[in-house]
Amino acid sequence: MNGCILILVALGLSIVFGLMGIINFAHGVFYMLGAYAGWVTVHLTGSFWLALLTAPLAVGLIGILVERGVLQRTYGTKNANFAGVLVTYGLAIMIPDLVRMTFGRPGKPFAVPAALTGSLFRLGEIDVHAYRVFILGVTAVILPLLWLLLNRTNLGLVIRAGTSDNLMVQLLGINVARTWTITYALGAALAAFAGVITAPLVAVAPEMGGLVLIECFIVTVVGGMGTFLGVVAGGLLIGESLAITGMLYDVLADVVIYLAMALVLLVRPRGLFGQEGMSEE
Amino acid sequence: MRGLILAALVLATAPLYADYTPFYLGLLTEVLVFGLFALAYDVLLGGVGVLSLGHSAFLGVAAYTTGILLARYQPALEVAILAGAVGGLLTSLLLGVLVLRKRGVYLAMLTLALSQVFYFVVLMWTPVTGGTDGLGNLPILHLSDPLGWRLSKRPITRYYVIATVIFLAVLAIRHMLGSPLGRAMRAVKANETRAAACGFDTRRIKLAAFAISGFFSGLAGALLTVVLEFVPIENIHWQMSGTVLIMTLFGGTGTLLGPFVGAGVFIWMRDFLSKHLEYWEVFVGGAFVLIVLFLPDGIVGSLTRLLARRRPAPAAAPADQIPEPAGLVGAARLPADVHLLESRGLRKTFGGLAAVNGVDFQVRPGELRSVIGPNGAGKTTFFNLLTGVLPPSDGRILFKGQDITGLPAHVVSRLGIARSYQVTNIFGDLTVYENVRIAAQSRVTHYRFWGRADALAAVNRRAEEILLHLGLSAQRHALARELSHGEQRYLEIGIALATDPDFLLLDEPTAGMSPDETRRTAAFVRKLAGYVTIVVVEHDMEVVMGISDRITVLNYGEILAEGTPAEIRENADVRRVYLRD
Repeated sequence: MNGCILILVALGLSIVFGLMGIINFAHGVFYMLGAYAGWVTVHLTGSFWLALLTAPLAVGLIGILVERGVLQRTYGTKNANFAGVLVTYGLAIMIPDLVRMTFGRPGKPFAVPAALTGSLFRLGEIDVHAYRVFILGVTAVILPLLWLLLNRTNLGLVIRAGTSDNLMVQLLGINVARTWTITYALGAALAAFAGVITAPLVAVAPEMGGLVLIECFIVTVVGGMGTFLGVVAGGLLIGESLAITGMLYDVLADVVIYLAMALVLLVRPRGLFGQEGMSEE
Repeated sequence: MRGLILAALVLATAPLYADYTPFYLGLLTEVLVFGLFALAYDVLLGGVGVLSLGHSAFLGVAAYTTGILLARYQPALEVAILAGAVGGLLTSLLLGVLVLRKRGVYLAMLTLALSQVFYFVVLMWTPVTGGTDGLGNLPILHLSDPLGWRLSKRPITRYYVIATVIFLAVLAIRHMLGSPLGRAMRAVKANETRAAACGFDTRRIKLAAFAISGFFSGLAGALLTVVLEFVPIENIHWQMSGTVLIMTLFGGTGTLLGPFVGAGVFIWMRDFLSKHLEYWEVFVGGAFVLIVLFLPDGIVGSLTRLLARRRPAPAAAPADQIPEPAGLVGAARLPADVHLLESRGLRKTFGGLAAVNGVDFQVRPGELRSVIGPNGAGKTTFFNLLTGVLPPSDGRILFKGQDITGLPAHVVSRLGIARSYQVTNIFGDLTVYENVRIAAQSRVTHYRFWGRADALAAVNRRAEEILLHLGLSAQRHALARELSHGEQRYLEIGIALATDPDFLLLDEPTAGMSPDETRRTAAFVRKLAGYVTIVVVEHDMEVVMGISDRITVLNYGEILAEGTPAEIRENADVRRVYLRD
């Protein structure tokens, strides 16, 4: 899995966890749905660039529906955080089958857009593909924007404040319910966006969400849950170690990242950039 | 007991209802094995309130251990099964040690990620495990002499052997849940902070629950290998953890029967629905969402609640008598040290803020000391430092001359310091009696997983005594959260006293009480001071001036003044800062 894409997906997971205290098991599903929304758009209009827009929008909307229709019923109940994990897990089982019903079991081919095919230049022995550079570029644009959103806007302030003390934010008279909906939708849209840009690299399939979800877990554990920098660093670390071990000795790739996680857990349980006390509860 | 006999009868006669059809018996056996797995899972979820998504590792390691042993060394069947269960136990201990540094959903995520390590090991170690093809070609299975039974291919034989093992396992689990350890687990689930303040090492208790859960999950995994004569790699994939979670919640957590019903429903869905519907997971996932949202007690839990008659509301205790401390404390516990408790230069900073800033504090045995100060003066932080809830940033704490700086809460409790909290902190979901009993039990045993907790005579006597003297005997069977506010405050003091403390810290014992209750409580605390040493944080000045031997005034984390009530009343600094006149 590409480090950039891992960062984008894991950030959505981390933001939702930080604010709402739930592990969003449906996150991988949103990623998969993004790829499918992209496929539909390309299928209908032939435009990859349009898909970059429609996929996050469509899946963001689904995120709103899920949050309003399902998750909101769990708030304020006993063990609300558990319940949030459980219902999203239920959705993660349901939705891939719904996708199979609609699009069939086999995956859908998804071509690299014409403008980005081929290699851009050669770096020594290695071909540098235009599409990979594109992913890097897109990530380089999105990350600062997201950082600005979280650190320089009112919404970001509320999200960060809510992450550290939800009740207090509520007492200040801020509409927390709406912030939660927006945050959840934002997470879904981020996952969907990552899904579309991954689509040309892998086959679009109903199962694609499962694997990325676990990798995101590892990224957030290594980097530190709920921290922007941690997720970026964790994503790069995990993404690159996957890529490098993948090149050297394929079989070991998955094991290496799990070992990295176990090591971090042993030495620094809160993650590389995690703050003390965060996400302990 | 009746339930168990009934269960035994049902198990014994179940094959009759289907005319011994092999398909039906195979299904039944599978339901039983997964039921055991779900029950083992619930030891953790329903037992200590830990959500695990790593149980695939326990089941899987055991299934492969049994499978590999059988395939390579052909040991006796019971040896292979036991080895599998031990494999599950060891895996759970390893995982437990790693993940119990965290809590809640974060812990759940860690269990999932770590359990996948085992999946990848199996995946890569193809020569031994068979990789994605699974592990097959297991030889004919037989028990060792003198039984020497060959576990024949006949499904009926196999059913009865498996059913017997599972019935015994359920008995064992039931026994453990009623043991002192089982009760401690329930206390940890009900209120972890309170359990720690009673002297329970909550992390270890949870680790013990992991071990029990891992052992029986392992047993289920080993039996699954025997039933299937095959180990599919799905057994160790994380989705197996999701499956067992779904089964447990379908049936209902916190019951013995629930997991078996849940396993039955799930396997029925899988076999029946998938025969008729290609996309059966939509229904499993959907049903799961609906159960979580609308039937959080599961099928069995909800039925039980529906059938159970509502208990009549407990009779209110007469509120006019002051509890007699002699019965509560036994002999006076006043050690001969010059200072029972002492803090030297105690500091606690949060970021840039010093909540407690260089406090030198001494309490003599038998003293009743009040700590007062405006809001934010650091009183509660000071208490949290003394009781090991927070580690100090600097300074030392001595108790009976022993340095207790930085010791965790449960160790501090065992040394003889008990406390009540500003916001009532009791085991709300446990009965009034159990609240006090579990606190008394902490002085006797924590981890004993055999014997009935209710058979600890000395502990029972102590709990009875305390309830009697607090006037709560009539409500002993009520849940603690059903008590009135005043009664809950008393119960909390009862919990604290049940741990036989030498030193008692009370954080605003009269908060939220009526004037009448306040008067009664003040008199009670005063009387109690003849038996144990007490430090009390209190806002009610009348109470403070009335009962204290000495008063310490905190302001901005520092001691502003200390002295008798008369001295404090006359102190100009105190009047200026605290009484604001």
